Amino acid sequence: MTTPAAELVGVTQRFGSFTAVDAVDLRIPRGRLTTLLGPSGCGKTTTLRMLAGYATPTSGRILIDGQDATRTPPEKRDLGMVFQSYALFPHLTVADNVAYGLTMRKVPAPERRRRAAEALELVGLGHLGDRRPKQLSGGQQQRVALARAVAVRPRLLLLDEPLSNLDARLRVQMRAEIRRIQSETGLTVVLVTHDQDEALEMSDEMVLMRAGKVVQSGAPRDVFPAPADRFVAEFLGYENFLTLADGREAAVRPEHLRVVTADAPLDGRADDVVLDAVVRDVAYRGVDVLVTLDATDPAGTAVRLVADHRAEDETPAPSPGARVRLVAPRARLALLTPAAPAAAPATAPEGNR
Amino acid sequence: MSGTRLRHPVAAALAVAGYVIMIVPIGFVVATAFTAGSTLRFPPEGLSLTWFGEAVAYSPFMEAVVSSLELAALATALALVLGVPVTLAVHRGRIPGRGLLEGLFLSPLVVPELVVGLALYQQLMIGLHLDNFTTLLLGHTALLLPYAVRVTGASLALADPALEEAARGLGASPVRAFFTVTLPMLRPGLVSAGLLGFVTSFNNVPLSLLLQTRDFRTLPVTMLDYVQQSYDPMVAAASTLVLAATVVVAVVAERTVGFAKIFGGINR
Repeated sequence: MTTPAAELVGVTQRFGSFTAVDAVDLRIPRGRLTTLLGPSGCGKTTTLRMLAGYATPTSGRILIDGQDATRTPPEKRDLGMVFQSYALFPHLTVADNVAYGLTMRKVPAPERRRRAAEALELVGLGHLGDRRPKQLSGGQQQRVALARAVAVRPRLLLLDEPLSNLDARLRVQMRAEIRRIQSETGLTVVLVTHDQDEALEMSDEMVLMRAGKVVQSGAPRDVFPAPADRFVAEFLGYENFLTLADGREAAVRPEHLRVVTADAPLDGRADDVVLDAVVRDVAYRGVDVLVTLDATDPAGTAVRLVADHRAEDETPAPSPGARVRLVAPRARLALLTPAAPAAAPATAPEGNR
Repeated sequence: MSGTRLRHPVAAALAVAGYVIMIVPIGFVVATAFTAGSTLRFPPEGLSLTWFGEAVAYSPFMEAVVSSLELAALATALALVLGVPVTLAVHRGRIPGRGLLEGLFLSPLVVPELVVGLALYQQLMIGLHLDNFTTLLLGHTALLLPYAVRVTGASLALADPALEEAARGLGASPVRAFFTVTLPMLRPGLVSAGLLGFVTSFNNVPLSLLLQTRDFRTLPVTMLDYVQQSYDPMVAAASTLVLAATVVVAVVAERTVGFAKIFGGINR
C-alpha cells in the first residue's frame, strides 16, 4: 500500500479543559477528495488547522508524505489552503494574489506569471487578473482563493467550508467545479463541511466527526446506506428510528416507509417490518406527500414516524385519522450499534457493509 | 443637504453654532495678521504683509519652528515604533490581559498633561538629570502613544486575521508575512496616527511649557512668551502661517487617506 498523503496518529487538541480533537487517527488517501463532515464544534476545522500547521496538537503526530510534520510551521508544509473568508490580500491584484505563493518560493517572474495565469485559467477567471479582490463577486473571490492555493502545486489542498458563503445555486455549481479541478490536477484534497449533501456528492472518502472523535468513515456509497449509529443516521437524514423485536435499533428513511391500507395483502418478504399506524398529519409537497404517523414499534414502544408517499402513486395518500399499515422492507432498515459510538477505523469502508 | 436642515432645525442650528464658535476666532486672528498697523486690533488698519515678513525674520520663532518640527517628528516616530508592536500584540497575540495592556497605553489620554509634565520634570530632569530635549521627547512620545496604538489598531481590527495565516500557508515566514501583508494592512492607520501624532505634538502647550529651557523651546511656548511681552500682530502672522501649514497637511491627508479613515480610527 502506498504512503497516505497525510496521516494523523492519535492526535489530540485541548483548549484549556475543552478537548476539541480527541485521539483521532486518520489517513488521507493520495489523489482523492476526503471530506471531514460534522456539526459545528465537532473538531473538523481544528483537525484541518492542525494539518495546515496553524495549530499544534496537544499530543499525537501528524505525518505528511510519511514525514513527521507535527511541529513544522505552515510555511514549510507546502500546502494550499482556501479559507472560509477566502482571505484574499486586498492590496494586491488578483494575479498577484495568485502569484503570492510562487513569489515566496522565489519562482522567476516569467514562470510565475505563466503559472498564475494558468491557475486563473483553471478556475475560469483568466480575464480578471488585473482586478482587485474587492471588485469581484463572492463566487469569483472563491475561485481566486482556489487558484491561489492550487498555483503552488501543493502536496495537499485544504478547503475550510469553502462553499458556505455562496448562495444556494452557486454552491451546487461549485461542488462540481471543485471536483473537476481535483480530477484535472490530481491533487489530494481535504474539505471541511457541515453539509451532508456536499460531502455525499463530492467525497471519495468521507469522515464523520462528533465531539472530537471520528464516528464513521468510508466512501459515501458505503456510509450512506449503513450509518454506524443514531448520530450518523440523523446527520445523514434518517428520520425514523424504531426498536426491532430482537432489541436492536434500526433507522429507516421516510421514502422507504410504505403506507398501505389496513387490510392490504402483505406481498413483501416475511421479514419486512409491518406496523399498524394512525395518520396524524398529511403535508402535500408537489412531488411527494409527507405523512406523519403514530405507531407502535416491534418492541412495543410508541413512535412517531414520517413516510414519504409519492404523489403519483396509484394508492391515494391517506387522510388524517385513518388507520393504516406501514411497511418497512427489511433491506431498507439500517441497523445501528446500540451503545455510544466506538470510533471506527478511519479508512475501513469494508467494516461498514 | 437642505432637506436635512429642514427636518432637523435644532441639529442644524447647533452645527452652525459649532462652526461659528470654532471658525470666527480664527478669522479674527487671520484678519489681524494682515494689518498695516502696529497693534493686535480688529478691524485691522490697512492691508499689508509686513508682519509675515517680521515673523519669518524673527529668529526665536524660526528656531522654535525647527525645534518643534524636530520634536514632533521624533516623538511621532518613537510613538509608532513603540505603539505598533503593542497593537500587534493586542490584536493578534495570544497574551493574557490584552485589555489591560491596551488600557495602559491609552492612559495618557486621561491623565492631565500638567501632571505628566510635572512628574517628568521631577523624575527625569531633576532626578535623573536628563536634558530637557530628551525629557520633552519622552513626554511627547507618551502623549502620542494612545494615537499610535488606537488608530493603527483600528486598521488591524478591520483586517481579516486569516490574511496572515494565508500568507504563512503560501510559504511566507512570519517576518515576510508581516512585511508583505500585515504592514500594507496597517498603512492607512500608520499614516493617520502619524499625522494626528505630529499635529498633537506640534501644538502641545502644557508639557512643553513645564519642560522648557532657554536652549530648547517649542513654537507654541515661544509664541506664548512673546504675547506676554509684546502686543504686536507678529504673533497673529505666525499663527496664520502655522494654520496654513496645518491646512496643507489636512488636505494632503484627506486626499491620500481620507478623513473618514483617519477619524474613524478613533471612534471605533
